[in-house]
Amino acid sequence: MKRQFLSVIFIAAGALILASGCKKDSLEPEEDPAAGLHQIVSGYAIGAAVKLELYGNGPLSAGYTPLFFVLYDSVTNQLIEDAAIELRPMMNMGAMEHSAPFENPANKAVDKLFPGSVTFIMATMEMGSWRLEITVRRAGKEGRVSVPVTVSEPPYGRVRSFVSKANGDKLIAAYIEPSKPKVGVNDMEIAIYRSQGMDFPADSSMTVTLTPEMPSMGHGSPNNVDPVHIGNGHYRGKVNFTMTGLWQLNLGLFLEDAVAADDLFFEVNF
Amino acid sequence: MRSLLCAIGACLLGLAAQAQEIGDSMRVAVLETALVTAKQKTQQERLYHFFNANKAATTEDILSRLPELSLVRRGSYGMDPVIRAFSASQINVLVDGMRIHSACTDRMDPATIYIEPVNLQSLQVNTGGASLLQGSSVGGSLNLKLAEAELGCEPRLSGSLSSGYQSAAGAFYESAKIGYASHRWGVRASGAYRKSGDYRAGDGQKIPYSAYEKANYSLSGAYLLNHSWRLKATLLGDDGWNIGYPALPMDAGYANARIASLGAIKENAADRWNFFEARLYANKVKHFMDDSRRENVPIPMDMPGLSATWGAFAEGRRRIDGRSQLTLRADGSSSMQSASMTMRQEGQPEMFMLTLPDVRMVQSAVAAGYLLQLDSLSALRLHARGDITRSYLTSQMGRDQLKVFGYEDDRRYFVLPALSASYTRKLTGGLQATVGAVLNGRAPSANELYGFYLFNQFDGFDYVGNASLKAERSLMAEMTIAWQQPKIRWQLSGYYSSVHQYILGIRDPGYSVMTIGARGVKQYRNINRALLTGAEASMIYRPFVNTQLMATLKYSYGEDGRGEALPLIAPLRSIGSLRQQLGQFSIQAEWEAAASQRRVSASAAESPTSGFSIAHLRAGYKINTKQIAWQLDAGVENLFDTAYREHLDWGKIFRPGRNLFVQLTLGF
Repeated sequence: MKRQFLSVIFIAAGALILASGCKKDSLEPEEDPAAGLHQIVSGYAIGAAVKLELYGNGPLSAGYTPLFFVLYDSVTNQLIEDAAIELRPMMNMGAMEHSAPFENPANKAVDKLFPGSVTFIMATMEMGSWRLEITVRRAGKEGRVSVPVTVSEPPYGRVRSFVSKANGDKLIAAYIEPSKPKVGVNDMEIAIYRSQGMDFPADSSMTVTLTPEMPSMGHGSPNNVDPVHIGNGHYRGKVNFTMTGLWQLNLGLFLEDAVAADDLFFEVNF
Repeated sequence: MRSLLCAIGACLLGLAAQAQEIGDSMRVAVLETALVTAKQKTQQERLYHFFNANKAATTEDILSRLPELSLVRRGSYGMDPVIRAFSASQINVLVDGMRIHSACTDRMDPATIYIEPVNLQSLQVNTGGASLLQGSSVGGSLNLKLAEAELGCEPRLSGSLSSGYQSAAGAFYESAKIGYASHRWGVRASGAYRKSGDYRAGDGQKIPYSAYEKANYSLSGAYLLNHSWRLKATLLGDDGWNIGYPALPMDAGYANARIASLGAIKENAADRWNFFEARLYANKVKHFMDDSRRENVPIPMDMPGLSATWGAFAEGRRRIDGRSQLTLRADGSSSMQSASMTMRQEGQPEMFMLTLPDVRMVQSAVAAGYLLQLDSLSALRLHARGDITRSYLTSQMGRDQLKVFGYEDDRRYFVLPALSASYTRKLTGGLQATVGAVLNGRAPSANELYGFYLFNQFDGFDYVGNASLKAERSLMAEMTIAWQQPKIRWQLSGYYSSVHQYILGIRDPGYSVMTIGARGVKQYRNINRALLTGAEASMIYRPFVNTQLMATLKYSYGEDGRGEALPLIAPLRSIGSLRQQLGQFSIQAEWEAAASQRRVSASAAESPTSGFSIAHLRAGYKINTKQIAWQLDAGVENLFDTAYREHLDWGKIFRPGRNLFVQLTLGF
């Protein structure tokens, strides 16, 4: 009896292995568009008949945060590659609400993903919580999702709010790259936004200087390239790290010849 | 019958080995065409044997007394040999023909430290064309030949024990060797141990961080295959601990080397191919530089380094006819060098960088030498070498680091052709003159190509490599005049060397320093031309059978193409030594003197050095009992406790003051 039972198990196991082998051969491997990404929330934009999944590179944290939307037709479950997505991050602090800089995805998916971004200007706190209001328009239909999200504080600050010394504008600078710092040459990218009530338009007017420094040793690194504006408030250059450890990326912001900020920095530890 | 032949062969071999020691007369008989070579080497060999007679002498003591050599000193241990005015990677320092690369980026570990006098058979300094056979260089080669296991007609066990003490550093120096020789095979084992405290300088001050401790051990074997062929194998280990470098900001926690080789040698004067040697070797050096014993260190750091090399060479000599001889050689080696730095600060993440980013260097070459005896008075010697050296980085982090300086490609090839010709003629009255010219070159070293913020305490600059360096090329003319009389031998050599694409660190104000307190950053560049010239003379005078007077004099001069002095050029320097044998007793008075050096490099912020003169007194007593030969060496070095330093000493640190030494050696 016992032996029979064992052999059944073996046969079943064999069949399973074979079956799974066949499956791989016979069917096109279904690619998960969000492979390698971290799912943050999902929800239904009911008016647009859309099931929405929201992904990030990891759990949300304060700073410039790339977001990736995957849309499905909630009836047919087909992937959607054409849609307009509008974002509005909102922080509710009880008595008051404010928003944050964001970048809406384009109307056409890239590799089945709709990439956008939100620059969370602070982390979720006891007194304040974030939610994302997402509007999806597709084929003349419109639906809305409002989802609460939790934003953590990163180990090193990735966003700075400050007042321009040149003209008193309220500005926000966000760190984008290097997201995976290494010894050698790294892309350096920041985004600069103006803070105007509930709006955060991108700022393209700055001249940026970059001076990396290792604070514990007081040395820098050679051949860095100052970030220059490349569109949508993004500034890109190169930063060189000569060793691992804690680096401080000192940024100087200039509006024409006037200093807008001279004490701005981001820390990088790897 | 066969064993009889072997026995004869072995005895012949023994005879040949003896012949080398006896000197030229025997050699001439065996190898008439090598006549001039043998004589030229003899002066060097004689000096070597003269100074090697003192059993308390270290390898560095012996090296420093040869007229072609000087030593760069950063501490009591690990002095870096300089041939004339050429140093570091401009010369080839070989251990028994093997290439060994420094594992320390600060050159704390020149290959000369791996050989103790107990396992050193001889020293060869080649400045001219003959150095082409051993490697491409711009300054020549130094080969430290290891003592081999002996073969003998009668089975024989021999050995020695030596123990000594030196007062200036409270140093102990112990060594032992034992060998067994039979007509078929032989083994030899030797060991040495040195432990030294901080030494007392001539001004009475104790020099902190000048202590060291080391052990060296070797095992070699020889096996006679037939009357002309034998196999030999060598294992050598060297371990150093807590080696202080007072002139550097860091010391060496440990330094280990493991060296192995296996070879086959043919020696048969009767054959056309009368000499042949093939060898396979491998070595690995681990070096750990740290500042854990230093006080007031802003950021503690460790700088471990590793070098691993394997290589092979084959060399054969063929007699073409009674008048000419051809030497052919092929050699190749592959080395890996890497070094890193980890800095620690309380409450901060560790900082890590590759100071030498995993460098692989592969070298292969063919070389030939041709000796033609033109007539009974003159000979012509030609050498040629073609060398290809390839270098690249083996780690992604290394390549990424290099890109910081804009080098997208780390791979380099260097083709190094070399040629030399020299002509020797016997003149009247025991005079002999040799004139020669050498065209040679060298590939940049791993440090020069890929070094990453290597701090140089000498000039206080951080050095960064330059992956686009060109090879250094040199053109040297040399003239030697030797005079030999039954009682006196002297030799005078002069050289003039023009080095093109000379590699020198040039300050780049665009770079900021990495090391706290560094004065700036220098990057290696090829400068158009540098001139190095100089002369050395030596004399051995034997007025009476038991009296020997030896003297050397050397001078070098170096400048870059624009007339500025090159750094680390030794001033006029002289050594004299008078030895008197009185039966079993010998007494030796020795003096060393150097002129001041005022021609210093401004861009290296080099300081001038005052001249000095010091004296030593040594005595030896030998007595042979039936089984044991006793030798007692004792003496006083720096008799007048002079505070002095040599120009090539880093850090303006005085050398040891008055040093009483005693060394007892017994042999059987």
